[in-house]
Amino acid sequence: MSDATWAVPGNDVLHERDHVELSLPARPELLFLVRMTAAAVASRADFGYDQIEDLRLAIDELALTVSGDEATSGRLQLLFKWTEDAIEVVGVYEPDEAEGPRRDLAVAQPANELSARILDALVDEHGADVVGGCPRAWLRMRRRKASRQ
Amino acid sequence: MTTEVNFEVTESDREGMPVLSVRGEVDVSTAPELRERLLALAEGGETTAVVDLSQVSFVDSTALGVLVSGVKRLRSEGGDLRLVVTEPRISKVFEITGLTDVFKIYASADEAVRA
Repeated sequence: MSDATWAVPGNDVLHERDHVELSLPARPELLFLVRMTAAAVASRADFGYDQIEDLRLAIDELALTVSGDEATSGRLQLLFKWTEDAIEVVGVYEPDEAEGPRRDLAVAQPANELSARILDALVDEHGADVVGGCPRAWLRMRRRKASRQ
Repeated sequence: MTTEVNFEVTESDREGMPVLSVRGEVDVSTAPELRERLLALAEGGETTAVVDLSQVSFVDSTALGVLVSGVKRLRSEGGDLRLVVTEPRISKVFEITGLTDVFKIYASADEAVRA
């Protein structure tokens, strides 16, 4: 994965405090690991309970956006970055060499209308595209003042 | 690794109405089991059922899609799919997706059965 893979709109102004990289097989039964990581990062970034729960759901939808809902032989790569006031997550589905491009993921967009509504409601910014043949999605959640506990 | 540890669907009969009680996290991994249970009810001739989500700690769009498919199927047969939602986190997901306008949501299984 090149640096360009992780460069998403708006993150040139994000001065990260730290980051976590997660790589795992893109299998539905492992999605809970993505949610666990999101919760741990949000907690480390000192986000409040409500926003941690919001991020768990949003990251689940982000993962569905890039890897779909079927078991695959590819891998899901995620980069979590956080600052004093925001968390940004970029997710990329990396197909297995033998798998080749997946037509169902050729047009990057939220997994379905419900997924889009969830992302719209829970995060401040989100988007999806295809980079180097790999579906990519990203989100950014800013700290809500009331949620700091 | 299994997913059964944090997910379970049990079926019971209350006053002649089937109630599916779901426990744990309903996501892309576990929602197919809920879909199968709902489908089995419909194919078994049931037209109205209750899905009790009061013990559910997480739902994503896949889970919601399964419930939407279920309610469409049962309403096409002249029945309905009634939901029990008590956890604020779960209620919020129904609210932000606009599904509170689609489902009849109750505070308990008893209330849903008697509605």
